[in-house]
Amino acid sequence: MTFLDPLINGLSLGSLYALIAVGYTVVYGIVQLINFAHGEIFMVGAFGALSTWIVLGQASANLSWWMLPLMLVGGMVVGVTVAVLMERFAYRPLRHAPRLAPLITAIGISVFLQEFVRLFYGAIPGFPDAKAAVVFPQIEFFTGPAIEFGGAVIQRATFFTLGALAVSWAFLWFFVNKTKIGRAMLATSQDPDTARLMGIDVNRIITIAFAVGAALAAIAGTAHGLRYGNIDFKMGFLAGLKAFTAAVLGGIGNINGAVVGGLVLGVVESLATVYVPGQFGGAAWKDVWAFVLLIIVLVFRPQGIMGAKVVDRA
Amino acid sequence: MTASATTRQRAYNVERIVGLVGGLIFAVSAFFPWAYGHEALDDMAYFGSPSPLQWFAVVMALALINCLAASLLEPTLNNSTGFLKLLGRISKRFGWIRGARALAIGMLAYAVLAILAVALELNGLVNLEMGAWVALVGAGIAFGSSMMLPTGRAPFLERIPSYPVLEIATIALLLMGMLFASAYALSQEDGGTFLMVLVFIGALAGFAIGSGFGSWVATAGRRHRTVLVSSAFLVAFLFPFTQNGSDANMSIATQVLIFAATAVGLNIVVGLAGLLDLGYIAFLGAGAFTAAVLSESAFATINWHPPFIVVMLLSGCISATLGLIIGSPTLRVSGDYLAIVTLAFGEIFRITMNNLDGSSGPNLVHGSSGIPAIPNLNFFGFDFGQSHVVAGIELGRFANYFFLMLVIMSIIILVFTRLNHSRIGRGWVAIREDERAAEAMGVNVFGLKLLAFAGGAFLAGFAGAVKAHVDVSVVPDQYVFLESAFLLAAIVLGGMGTVMGVLLGATLLKLVPEKLRFMSDYRMLIFGLLMVVMMRFRPEGIIPNQRRALEFHVDDEELVEDVEERLPYEFVEFEEVPA
Amino acid sequence: MSTAVLHPETDGHAVGREVMLRADKVTMKFGGLTAVDSVDMTVHNGEIVGLIGPNGAGKTTFFNCLTGMYLPTSGQVTFNGSVLPPKPREVVKAGMARTFQNIRLFPNMTALENVMVGRYCRTSSGAFTSIIHGPKYRAEEIATRERAAELLDFVGLGGEGGHLARNMPYGNQRRLEIARALATDPKLLLLDEPTAGMNPQETKDAEELIFRIRDTGLAIVVIEHDMKFIFNLCDRVLCLVRGKVLIEGTAGEVQSDPRVIEAYIGSPKTKENPDA
Repeated sequence: MTFLDPLINGLSLGSLYALIAVGYTVVYGIVQLINFAHGEIFMVGAFGALSTWIVLGQASANLSWWMLPLMLVGGMVVGVTVAVLMERFAYRPLRHAPRLAPLITAIGISVFLQEFVRLFYGAIPGFPDAKAAVVFPQIEFFTGPAIEFGGAVIQRATFFTLGALAVSWAFLWFFVNKTKIGRAMLATSQDPDTARLMGIDVNRIITIAFAVGAALAAIAGTAHGLRYGNIDFKMGFLAGLKAFTAAVLGGIGNINGAVVGGLVLGVVESLATVYVPGQFGGAAWKDVWAFVLLIIVLVFRPQGIMGAKVVDRA
Repeated sequence: MTASATTRQRAYNVERIVGLVGGLIFAVSAFFPWAYGHEALDDMAYFGSPSPLQWFAVVMALALINCLAASLLEPTLNNSTGFLKLLGRISKRFGWIRGARALAIGMLAYAVLAILAVALELNGLVNLEMGAWVALVGAGIAFGSSMMLPTGRAPFLERIPSYPVLEIATIALLLMGMLFASAYALSQEDGGTFLMVLVFIGALAGFAIGSGFGSWVATAGRRHRTVLVSSAFLVAFLFPFTQNGSDANMSIATQVLIFAATAVGLNIVVGLAGLLDLGYIAFLGAGAFTAAVLSESAFATINWHPPFIVVMLLSGCISATLGLIIGSPTLRVSGDYLAIVTLAFGEIFRITMNNLDGSSGPNLVHGSSGIPAIPNLNFFGFDFGQSHVVAGIELGRFANYFFLMLVIMSIIILVFTRLNHSRIGRGWVAIREDERAAEAMGVNVFGLKLLAFAGGAFLAGFAGAVKAHVDVSVVPDQYVFLESAFLLAAIVLGGMGTVMGVLLGATLLKLVPEKLRFMSDYRMLIFGLLMVVMMRFRPEGIIPNQRRALEFHVDDEELVEDVEERLPYEFVEFEEVPA
Repeated sequence: MSTAVLHPETDGHAVGREVMLRADKVTMKFGGLTAVDSVDMTVHNGEIVGLIGPNGAGKTTFFNCLTGMYLPTSGQVTFNGSVLPPKPREVVKAGMARTFQNIRLFPNMTALENVMVGRYCRTSSGAFTSIIHGPKYRAEEIATRERAAELLDFVGLGGEGGHLARNMPYGNQRRLEIARALATDPKLLLLDEPTAGMNPQETKDAEELIFRIRDTGLAIVVIEHDMKFIFNLCDRVLCLVRGKVLIEGTAGEVQSDPRVIEAYIGSPKTKENPDA
């Protein structure tokens, strides 16, 4: 095994984290709310993509490459819908409540969404039971045999994940900096009250922020399915936490930071799994190290490695 | 008081009378059969001879009729003289409409539940008899009209002078009533019946609180604290004697107590210090693992078996040490970030326990299979596994643990309330309200936060040590994040910063899924939703700490007036200083 | 009686010779901005020092440096001969208490409880004695409550102790904040615009209260915009402009200095401005 393998693996993992982390960061940048239920959007998005395939491709066992865009759209529709509903009915009424309230709400939503998928996904006729891991369709083009490239073995799903991140990043950059809505988002993040006076519909901007985050999380959910071959109702919890770590690592509120933070976290996790020696190395402890990193970042560098925005979460 | 000025313009007598009619219909419906078959609920198939559940319906209806009639007659009484006028003046102190609303909501829920339960248990709505539909209509009418009535101002019954004997007798009667009610509710094997009894109790409690009787009792309780507290424990102590040696209910009760004790400990952190700890279950786990590892189980990995008192203290200390570690980031982080840090610590604990299996780490707890076959406790020859016959009533294994947990519970409650009413408690409030101002006034912010973490953890360690023996085995996956969320749900539902609230919340959260087996699979779903709904509509919980309620309702002027007028138990009593 | 309430060891308003507080070249920088630029200040026993200056002159920032809420970029603060650590709690313990420009009471505590919190640093019952209701707990609790009631009385809030802080009139909130600061048994009181936002009557009452505190012999540093108030009250006045001490002297000296007027209203040409 070369050094390149874990590095590439880490980048692939990191792009997943980055795609989810953007959701935390975009919402935080605008409403200073840490949407802890965001990990569940990632999970719901993956199930949305799976459902799309079940409806459109399962009967004919269709695994052609063009199923993937359809699945992505399906996942995004489900993820965005859930996120928008969640913002509208759970978070919006609490916008001026003490900080504890939205946090507890987020935990409630997380538990609810997980359990909802666990209990009711299989109840839909023709859908598999989701109480345990569910097999995710292995779209041929993206999951075929690994490619050898300059001595490194690269899974095809890695190309998809990295590509998705690159495209999403470019899109986000354009959206935030070049469109009217994007500028309105920037204005709202600076000062919501003044933005409102300037005629910006702040509620709409917040909804859009949730929707954008959810769309990216749904892409990540699909990518996760391709990468691991299965999805389950619990996967949002850990992924969400790690993505949150990535967002904080990059400086929460900073989109570029989220991407960089995600990639760094993925690479560190992957390298640590391989290179930490002895009993405390290996896969059994990798989540512990991720959490330790999370704690260290939160405690010692809450403004992140990019240090773009000073956060006072007091 | 602009609200009452506008209400004076209309008497709302029509609504009152319609509501009265609704109540009457509901009461009468109880004398008609509700179900076709005898198997549904508690056999409501007879004409003219109500079942217990139907009698409960009558009780609710009568209370509603009483409320509405009193509010209807009040102006007339006030305009008369002598004894009638006195009655009118007393009546004015009640919140009749608030009480009526609570009852009407309860009645509606009761009728709907009855219909659902009969339909489910007998397969289909055809099995309902006319009585049930009549009850639904009556409850609907009562609900609609009472919702249209203005609530008027808050009751102030507690100002009525009363005799200590009366107050003490009321407290004692109420507690005995609670004992019988809980014994009765627990004895219901049928899930639907159990739920309906709960709704009935809830409706009566709502009526009591709404009409002002609740605050009268609260004031009386405050005046006779010792009586209240000692009789409450007496009642809890007597509870196993009502179970006739049945271990099924005692097992639930013991689990409820363990859960509630842990939740009260967490409430120190969340409710008093205002810090969100999402990894709290790890402290319970640390206590349980400590006790398991030091127990006489053949799978225990440490060959030292000190007496249980020592084990318990050790469990508490280990948990408290963990608490200090988890709490130490509070020096630098607070708010949401702190919550995430605690969550991460909780997960680290669980994964670490899973890894201490001899291959990924030293073998301390056999990894994911945990430590099974933990023997029963033995105090000076008193074997907790044996049944004992006291006063002719058999007390089984769980009853023994119930008594032990009761002792631990009382310690935890003592710690909670005493700390709350001390200099330390005031410091916590100050930190919650304005951390920087508290620091600038000389409050040791970091120290107090650590104390909350360590103290809460210590108590959870206690509970965990007992839990290890009650459960017989300790497995890491009992201590997952969802359990922390579940504990938090008990506090959110029951009430932040109060013991009573948490006891209620913990009891409901543990008991309802036990009794409603079909629901146990849905329990986390429902409680997730419940947390969202509670945060939206009543973030302070069912029985809140009044100060907590104020903190959550930043703009509620009415609440401020109300609290100021009564200055509830949570506040330092203020006496005028003679000049 | 009021003398006894606050400061038993000093008798009345008398400016002593001993230096109580010495700020030595205190500088506070935020990024590129120097909010406080090597300010020196001394406060003697029983002295009242006024701190004036236009908005944004760095007065409150300087207060925050003195009370340990900010760690000064350079310079140090000595109180009663020892260097103060930049920890608000230690500063309070040493005997320096403050109020805030924008009132920062504990809104959902009653007035009495607010003042009782001020006693925190002068009491020491720990968790154990609180739980078992030991003799120390009982004694301290009674003493704390009595002292708090006494202080409420002193600031003119006797009988208001049962009201929630958030529900009190603005003027009373200011008084309550002063009572809370006094509860920490300070030797030096720092008041940040104690009459800001008050109507004339409330201002008068506040002045009267501060005079009474002064009469008990506490040293006071006060930030104010109300010149009449400052000149009535203060033994010495510092005028801060853009983070630097513009002038230091008696009230009369500062009042007549053209630079002060200029700093407040811009340029000498607008002297005719009736607001001046």
